[in-house]
Amino acid sequence: MNILNVYGIKKHFRGDMSLAKREVLRGVSFHAREGEVLGFLGSNGAGKTTTIKVILGLIRPHAGSVSIFDRSPGDARVMGRIGYLPETPYFYPHLSLAEFLGFCGGMSGVARADLPGRIDRVIEMVDLAPHRSKRLKAFSKGMLQRAGLAQAILHDPDLLILDEPFSGLDPVGRKMVRDILVDLKKRGKTIFFSSHILSDMEALCDRACIIRDGIIAKSVVLDDLLKMGEGTVEVTARGWRAEMTQGMREYVESVRTTGEDAFLVVREQRFVRPVIERLFEGGAEVLAVVNRHRTLENLFLREIARPDARTAKGKKEEKLVFTGF
Amino acid sequence: MNTIAGVALNTFRESMRERILAVAILFGLILMGSSVLLSPLAVGAKQKIIMDVGLAAISIIGVLTAVFLGSTLVHKETDKKAIYLVLTRPISRSSFLAGKLAGILLALALVFAVMTAVMLATIALGRGIIRPAVFASVYLSFLETTVVCSIVTLFSTFTTPMLTSFFALCIFAAGSLSGDLRVFASKFGGEGTRIVTDGLYYLLPNLKVFNLRHEAVHNLPFGAGDVLRATIYAAVYAAVALFFACAIFRRREFK
Repeated sequence: MNILNVYGIKKHFRGDMSLAKREVLRGVSFHAREGEVLGFLGSNGAGKTTTIKVILGLIRPHAGSVSIFDRSPGDARVMGRIGYLPETPYFYPHLSLAEFLGFCGGMSGVARADLPGRIDRVIEMVDLAPHRSKRLKAFSKGMLQRAGLAQAILHDPDLLILDEPFSGLDPVGRKMVRDILVDLKKRGKTIFFSSHILSDMEALCDRACIIRDGIIAKSVVLDDLLKMGEGTVEVTARGWRAEMTQGMREYVESVRTTGEDAFLVVREQRFVRPVIERLFEGGAEVLAVVNRHRTLENLFLREIARPDARTAKGKKEEKLVFTGF
Repeated sequence: MNTIAGVALNTFRESMRERILAVAILFGLILMGSSVLLSPLAVGAKQKIIMDVGLAAISIIGVLTAVFLGSTLVHKETDKKAIYLVLTRPISRSSFLAGKLAGILLALALVFAVMTAVMLATIALGRGIIRPAVFASVYLSFLETTVVCSIVTLFSTFTTPMLTSFFALCIFAAGSLSGDLRVFASKFGGEGTRIVTDGLYYLLPNLKVFNLRHEAVHNLPFGAGDVLRATIYAAVYAAVALFFACAIFRRREFK
């Protein structure tokens, strides 16, 4: 069952002093299934935060539609089931952490009797117990990020929308957030988060959508991504000679040479043996054979490095939107 | 209703920590203190001077505090993006705005209470008589401030704090004079001037209905019906201003 459906959303902004349109979203489509962890990946300015704001009803799209729990964004019945962490968390500096969480809990409709227990629990979870009475204006960036996560999970939401949840955190903080998200996933919560930290995304996500220039360029299932990498092998050989290329064209994807060493990327696992045989036959020495797994980072960098999709709108754009669905 | 109360309480707390509030109370106290110093100049009218300056100070400080607190009402939330945390919860934008207005009115009620207490203490120490008209006058000043605050709320939904303050103060000045201008125009102005002043009279708040200072100072009779009419007028005017503020705020985008 899909918890979140985003279909073809478009959004443009105009500058304060100019009439020129700046297209930010150009037909973003994706969905999140119940209990799934969906990563949202993209460079700065790709449209991640704008997409999240449209989902939350903070801005209206010029085209397309969004449904959360089969209702429109902004519907009070829906908003109570969402936990949101903004990209740059700014909280009321005059409040202490406990007061702030009390305010957020009250706004989310948490029963007054349940509130103190829940506040204590989330403060423990984000490891801010010694700071519960401290005013938020005295918090560091990392502490604010933790406080932000605490307010997002306080009312036990079914869907978490986290904009850069690892931003500003030290390695200990990152691990803590990762552990909390893993725990929430185990409890069947749906998590949609954007991040630049690809290793965290790879460790947590079931699926990832890559947004580029306001459009979903790729959507991948993380397990499939690892399988896609199987069979890509790099062979390192010494004593390489250019004429050896002749007999290996069909097996080798690319060759990189440094001095008398060569690094051969073999197209498929089954071609490793013939490549090694040909190297021996040619008098070369095999130094190493390494299995290369495809990572989210490889995929992301490849998508980012592609020629600008803006120049080829239309059919190509439609194809990209639905890739992986 | 709970969410409105939550926003109101948070706004009240925030207002309490704003220096402007302390400055407003201090300024009001100084003004009232100065009335004590001035009173020897008017022989036999010491209590009247204290009451006159005190009630005027309460009214002006109340309005100025409303303008300065209210002008940043929405702007501060959007500028710092704290509003994201509230509007992504099960609370309507109208409830949020109503809560903000209620919180500021709560803070203003405290400013009024402190200044009134000081004025009454000053009168009592001078062995003056505290008449019901004094309370009625303070109450009407608070209603006047409520109307101004609702206008500030309306402007704060679509413009900057600077322009909000400017427009609100202009409306306060025009609203205090609109009745006089209308009378003046009907006597000396042409047809066009009369239409303009009539339009302004009905559009702008008629703040004169909230002025009971003369009656309070000079111990003149005042009608309970006038106070009731002023209460209804303030409630309707503030509700209409809030209605338009909510309509604009619902359409706003938070980039």
